[in-house]
Amino acid sequence: MMPELKAMLPEWIGLAVLCWMFTVELLHGDAPRDPKTKGVYRVPVGGLAVIVLSLLFVCGKKAAAFGGIFQSDMPAVSMKLFFSAAAFFLLPMFRKYFTDAGPRLSEFLLVFWICFLGMFFLVSSRDFLLLFISLEIVTLSFYIMTSYAKKDTESIEAGLKYLILGSLASAFMIFGISLLYAATGSTAFEAVRVAFTADPQNTLMLIGLLLILSALGFKIAAVPFHLWAPDVYQGAPPPVAAFLAVGSKAAGIMVLINLLSDVFGAFEPGRKMLFSVLAFMTILYGNLGALVQTNIRRLFGYSSIGHAGYLLIALAANPQDGYAAAFYYLMAYAVSTLTAFYVINITVQAVGSSAIADFRGLASRSPWLAGAMFMALLSLAGVPPLAGFAGKFFVLLAAVKAGLTALALTGALAVAVSLFYYLNVVRVMYVDESIKESPVPITLSDKVILTVLMAGMILIGFYQSPFLQISLRAVSAAK
Amino acid sequence: MVYALTWIPFFTALTLLFVPENRPNRLKGLALLGAGLPFIICLILFFSFDRAAGGYQFRSSLPWIPSLGISYSVGLDGISLTLCLLHALVSFAGAFMSCRTSDRTKPYLFFYLILTGAIYGVFSCLDLFFLYLFYETTLIPLYPMIAVWGSRNKEYGAMKLTLFITAGAVMALFGIIMLYHTAQLQSFDLIALTEKLRSTPLNKNFQVWLAPFILIGFGVIASLWPVHSWSPIGYAAAPTSVSMLHAGVLKKMGPYLILRIAVALLPQGVQHWSHVLAVLSGIGILYAGYAAVRQTDLKFMIGFSSVSHMGYILLGIAAMTPVSLAGAVSLMFSHGVMAAATFAVIGFFYEQTHKRGVLDFGGMGKKVPFLATCFIMASFASLGLPGFSNFVAELMIFVGSWRSFPVIVGLAVFGILITALYLLRTVQHVCYGPLRGSWTELKDASGFFQKFPLVLLLGALMIFGFWPRGLLSLIQPAVASSLGVVP
Repeated sequence: MMPELKAMLPEWIGLAVLCWMFTVELLHGDAPRDPKTKGVYRVPVGGLAVIVLSLLFVCGKKAAAFGGIFQSDMPAVSMKLFFSAAAFFLLPMFRKYFTDAGPRLSEFLLVFWICFLGMFFLVSSRDFLLLFISLEIVTLSFYIMTSYAKKDTESIEAGLKYLILGSLASAFMIFGISLLYAATGSTAFEAVRVAFTADPQNTLMLIGLLLILSALGFKIAAVPFHLWAPDVYQGAPPPVAAFLAVGSKAAGIMVLINLLSDVFGAFEPGRKMLFSVLAFMTILYGNLGALVQTNIRRLFGYSSIGHAGYLLIALAANPQDGYAAAFYYLMAYAVSTLTAFYVINITVQAVGSSAIADFRGLASRSPWLAGAMFMALLSLAGVPPLAGFAGKFFVLLAAVKAGLTALALTGALAVAVSLFYYLNVVRVMYVDESIKESPVPITLSDKVILTVLMAGMILIGFYQSPFLQISLRAVSAAK
Repeated sequence: MVYALTWIPFFTALTLLFVPENRPNRLKGLALLGAGLPFIICLILFFSFDRAAGGYQFRSSLPWIPSLGISYSVGLDGISLTLCLLHALVSFAGAFMSCRTSDRTKPYLFFYLILTGAIYGVFSCLDLFFLYLFYETTLIPLYPMIAVWGSRNKEYGAMKLTLFITAGAVMALFGIIMLYHTAQLQSFDLIALTEKLRSTPLNKNFQVWLAPFILIGFGVIASLWPVHSWSPIGYAAAPTSVSMLHAGVLKKMGPYLILRIAVALLPQGVQHWSHVLAVLSGIGILYAGYAAVRQTDLKFMIGFSSVSHMGYILLGIAAMTPVSLAGAVSLMFSHGVMAAATFAVIGFFYEQTHKRGVLDFGGMGKKVPFLATCFIMASFASLGLPGFSNFVAELMIFVGSWRSFPVIVGLAVFGILITALYLLRTVQHVCYGPLRGSWTELKDASGFFQKFPLVLLLGALMIFGFWPRGLLSLIQPAVASSLGVVP
C-alpha cells in the first residue's frame, strides 16, 4: 500500500463522505428543504463509525505521508478518536437544532464535516504551512457555523466578532510562521526544531514562537485573547458553541502540546513562566466574569475561559504529567460540556430563550434534563465523583509536582468560586417555581444519549485508571 | 464487608430510581433497607472488633490508580468504628424521618441514600484520595436537599453552607496534594504515610506551613470559630433528616479528618498551631454559647449549641494528649447522637405547627409527653449530666487539656454554665408552664415508625452513658496509636 493511503486512511474515508455530501448538495442545492434522502444525516453518522474503525486500524503505527508533512502517530490518532467521539454526540444535537423551519441541515452538515476534517489534518500536521492551512479550514468553517442562524441578529453579530478577531489571530500566526521561516529557511517542524534547539535564545525565532502561541491562545480562549468567547458562545447556535468548546479548544490544546513538546521543546524555563502567568489570569478572569452572568450560554462562554485556565496550568507543569493531565482534563471537560449543551439545546428551543431565569422549574418540567444538567454542572465545577473532579485533581497534582504551588492553590480556590455560579443554575432549575407546567418533551434517543453521557461522567470521574492510561499514551510520543 | 457500608446505600439509591413515584411504600421500604443493612453490619463489626489487638481491622484493598499509588483501601480502627456506629445510628433514625417527606419523596430519598453512603465512605477509607473523594461527594446531595426541601431562607442557607464547606475542602485538597508530593512515598495510603512520616518526619517548617491548610480546611466543616457562620443558618434551613445527619455526623468528619491527616501526619505542625486552635475553640465555645442564649428560634439555638460543642471537641484535639483526644472522639459520638435526637424532636414539632420559636411553645409536657420527654433527655445529655455519655467525654477533654491550656479549660467549664442557662430555659419554656398557642392539632409521636428513631438514639446515649468502656476500650488504644504513643 502507498504510505499516503495507509497513514491517511481515516482522512480518505472522511473525504469520500465529503464528496458524497457535495454531490447531494449540487443535485439538490436549489431545493428549499432538505433533500428527501435520509442519507443527509445517516451518511455522516455511518462515515463517522467507519472512521473510528479505521482509526483503530492505524492506531499504534507511526506513519508519515506527503514527504513527512503529515504524520499519523499516537497523539494524533488519540485526538482524532476524541473528535470522532464528540461528533457522535454533536450530530444529534445539530439534527435537533435544524428543524424543518430553519436553515437546511444538509448544508450545515457539509460545513461541519469540512471543519471536522480540518481538525484531523491539524493534529497530524508536521509542517507549519499545513498547520496554518488546516487551522484556517477549521476557523473559516466556524465563522460560517457561528452565524448560521441567519435570522438571529445575535448569531450574525457573534459571527462577525469571531471573524474580525479570528482574522487578527490568523495574521499573528502567519506572521510568526514567516519569522520562523526567515530564521531557519524551512517551515517543517523538524528543521525548526533543530534550529531552535541549537539556539533557543534566537530573538527572531522567539518572537515567531510568541506570535504563534498568541494565535493558539485565541483558539483556546486564554486571557488576553479571550474577548470573543462570551459573545460567540451567546450568539452561536448551542450545538456550534458546544463544538467550539469541545472541538476547537481541544484542537488548540493538542497543537500547543505538539509544538511545546516537540518543536519548541527547548523553550525552557520560558514555557513554565509564560504559561503560569497566562493560566493565573485566565482562571481568575473566567471564573470571576461568570459570577454575574444571567444568560446561560454567556455563562458557558466565561466558564470555558475558566477551564482554559486549568488546561494552561497543565501546560505549565512538567511535560510528562502535565500533558497527560491536560488530555484527561479535555476528556472530562468534553463529556460534561456536551451533556450541558445537549440539555441547553433542547431547553432553549422549548422555552425560546437562553436566560438562566427561564430555566426555572426545569426539574418539574423534565426531571431527565434537569438531572443531566445538574450532573454536568457539578462535574464542570469539579465535584467528585464526576469527571471534572478527576481532571482537576490530575492538573493540580501535576502543578504541585512541578513546584507551581501558588498556581495550584489558585486553581483549587477557583473551584469554590465556580461552584457558586454553577449552583445558581441548579437553584433556578430545582427551587424556583416554573411559569409553565407543560413538560419539555424529550425522545427516547435523547434519553439514551444523556444516559451514555452521564455514565461517561461517572466513569471518567470515578474509574480513573484506564482513562489515565489513555491520556498517558496519548501524549507519550509527544515528549 | 466494609465496602458494603458504602455501596449498599449507593446501589439502593440506584434501585430507587427504577421504582415508580406513585409507590411511596415501596420507596420508603427501600430507603429503610438501604440505611438499615449498613446499621446491622456496623453492629456486627462493633461486636466482632478485636479490642485486644487494636489497630486497623477488617482491612482490604483494591488497586485503583497504581501509577500514582492510589488504592481503594478500607479498614476500621477504634476511632473510625466509633464514628461508623454513630453514623449508622443517626442515618438509620434519619431514614425514618426522611420517610415522612411528602413532597417529591423519591428524589429526596435518593439524595439521602447517596449522602449516607458517601459518609460511610469517609469513615471507612484508608486512602487520602478516596477520603477526599467521598468527603466532597457529600456536597452533591446536600445542596439540593436543603435548597429544595428546606424551610425559611433555604436558598441562602444552602448556598452558604455549600460554598463554605467547598472552600475549606479545596484548601484541604491542596494540603493533601502537597503532603503527597513532599512525602515522596508515591502513595496516598494513610497507613503507609503514617508509618513513613513517623520514622522520618517532614521538615518542621514545612509542617508549620502546611498544617493550617488542613486545620482550617477541615475546620470549616467542624464549625471552627470564625468560619462557623454557615452552620446555624444551614441547620435552620435544612429539612429534619439533613439537620440530623449534618449536625450529628457530617460535622464530625472535620475533627475526624484533622485527627487522621493533621495530627497523625503533621504532628509538629499541629503542635505549633495548637495554641491558636485552642484559643479559637475557646472563643467558639463561649461565643456560640452566648449566641445560643439570644436565639428565639429552636433550630438556630441548637445550631449555635452544636458550634459550641464542637469547640470542646476541637479543644480536645488541640491539646493532643491521649486523654483529651479520647474525650474528643467520644464527645463526637455522644454529641452526634444527642444533636440528631434534638433535631428529630424539633422536626416533629415543626412539621405539625410550622413554628419553631422558643416562645411559640409551652406545656408540651402535658400535650405531647413522649416528645417532651425525649427533648428533655436530649437537653440533659447536652448539658453533660452524668448518666449520659457526654459527661464522661467532656470530663476527659477537661482533664486531658488542663495541663496545656488551663485558662481555656477554665473558660470552657464556664461554657457549660452557659449551656445550662439556655437549655434549661428552653426546656422550661417548651415543656412546662401553661399551654401556649392553640396546638389542638398537635399529636404526639405514636406507633413504631415515629417512636423508633428517638428510642434508638436516646437508648444509645443511655447505654454508652452507663457503659463508657464499650466505646472507650475502642477509642483509647486507637487514639494512642494515632499519636504514636505505645498504649
